[in-house]
Amino acid sequence: MDTSQLLKGVLDLAVLAVLRDADGYGYDVLRRLRAAGLEDVADASVYGTLRRLFQAGALTSYVQPSEEGPHRKYYGLNKTGHDLLARSTKTWNHFADTMSVLLEEEAA
Amino acid sequence: MNSTLTGAVAIYLTQVRAELSDLPPGELEDVLQDVTDHLTEVAGEFDAEPTLSDLQVRLGTPRQYADELRTAAGYPARTEPVSQDYLTSGWNALRWGLIAGTVGPFFVAVSIFAWSSDETAFFGLLGLGVLFVAAFLGVRALNGNDPRIVLDTPRGAQWATAVRGWIDQVPPNVRHELVTIGQPVWWVARGMIGAAGFFALFGAISVTVVGAIAGAAVSIWIGRRTQQDRRWLWYVVPLNVVAAVAVPAFLAAAYVGASFGFLDNYNHYRGSGPNYEPPTKGVVVNGTAVSNIYPFDAQGKQVTVRLYDQDGNPISMELQDCATNYGQESRDTTSNLFPQAVVVPDENGYSSPEDCKETTKAPFVPPPAPATRTAPTPVAPSATPTSGATLTVKPTR
Repeated sequence: MDTSQLLKGVLDLAVLAVLRDADGYGYDVLRRLRAAGLEDVADASVYGTLRRLFQAGALTSYVQPSEEGPHRKYYGLNKTGHDLLARSTKTWNHFADTMSVLLEEEAA
Repeated sequence: MNSTLTGAVAIYLTQVRAELSDLPPGELEDVLQDVTDHLTEVAGEFDAEPTLSDLQVRLGTPRQYADELRTAAGYPARTEPVSQDYLTSGWNALRWGLIAGTVGPFFVAVSIFAWSSDETAFFGLLGLGVLFVAAFLGVRALNGNDPRIVLDTPRGAQWATAVRGWIDQVPPNVRHELVTIGQPVWWVARGMIGAAGFFALFGAISVTVVGAIAGAAVSIWIGRRTQQDRRWLWYVVPLNVVAAVAVPAFLAAAYVGASFGFLDNYNHYRGSGPNYEPPTKGVVVNGTAVSNIYPFDAQGKQVTVRLYDQDGNPISMELQDCATNYGQESRDTTSNLFPQAVVVPDENGYSSPEDCKETTKAPFVPPPAPATRTAPTPVAPSATPTSGATLTVKPTR
């Protein structure tokens, strides 16, 4: 099964998760997802996801100058974002458990 | 944030923008700012400035990139007006493009191989006229739609598939080399030869070299523009066909030194163009330079004379004897003593410094002396012409 197919469903959750501890700009979010093991993530999907979460009111956004290059647009979780992350985490855990049980039953 | 992108990255951005052009303006600008930031970061991953194909390997085609962005951001799917109008526009644009790309270049080719300069100018202008008018009508037939609509017409899709089939037969590494090396070389070649040919066509030889360099610059600029705005293809593809005919013709002609058609006309222009100067020195009779004078007396006997004009200035000519042709020492090289001695070639038509012969004998049989007229003014016989020739002396013109 192709990981990129699975990713489409949970990219929101993954993006929220990497922004939980520290704010980040688009390319930085992308790098954190890759470093966490999600190598198949498509660049444009991450930017699109950030855009949608921002419009949904889950993210704050601010521009910060950088020493070595252009100014960067940082994203961070606000209250709504943290709530969304918490709810989504519950949903994911429930779903993952269900799938695990299902697959174990199938294997048995 | 407002970094200015250059090269392939700028082109990629332009193409992504075109794919997202249906988004509301405010949203479009915001999301393109994100894309700009992203592409800036991606460009930084490469050691050198990435090419368009580097970016496509890394990010997918601009359409794929835009589609991913669209899906993830939750934008509505792209709305494409697949109506009959739209297909008609595409087909009309494609048809005008075909006319621009075949009929125009055909007449230009006729002009290149034409036999007279008039034909070259006529067919050249006719070909370019057809080309530009058809291309203009083609762009207008698009009706403001994206040029890609021609690929949605049944015929257009069929041809695109065929072309893609040919391209796929070229190994990817060769394709890459052709684009990265061949494309700039081609841009320069077509620009130089196009401009040089254009100026030569109108006889402006003196500006041909400058024109060729300017042509190369313009050609490169057009190439870059075309990558960003595909409507230029309607003009550029037919002009490329013209160049594909003209460039090999010029190179072949330059290689073999051939003089046919257009090149012959080119040389013709060079001979009679602004660089041509009529003789301004020496003796001219009825517009033709005179190189020697053989005087005969009234009885038809050749004589030796010194010539002077009405002011007593000697009428002199450049000497052509052995000493002038082969002599070492400098000497007075003009004389008004006629006939002047000229070098006699040997039986093979050559002459040499060691064995140089000269003569003052007339190289023609002297015409019979005209019947002596009853001279009206016997007092001044020198004022009565004894031969039919009219001698005019034009020191300058």
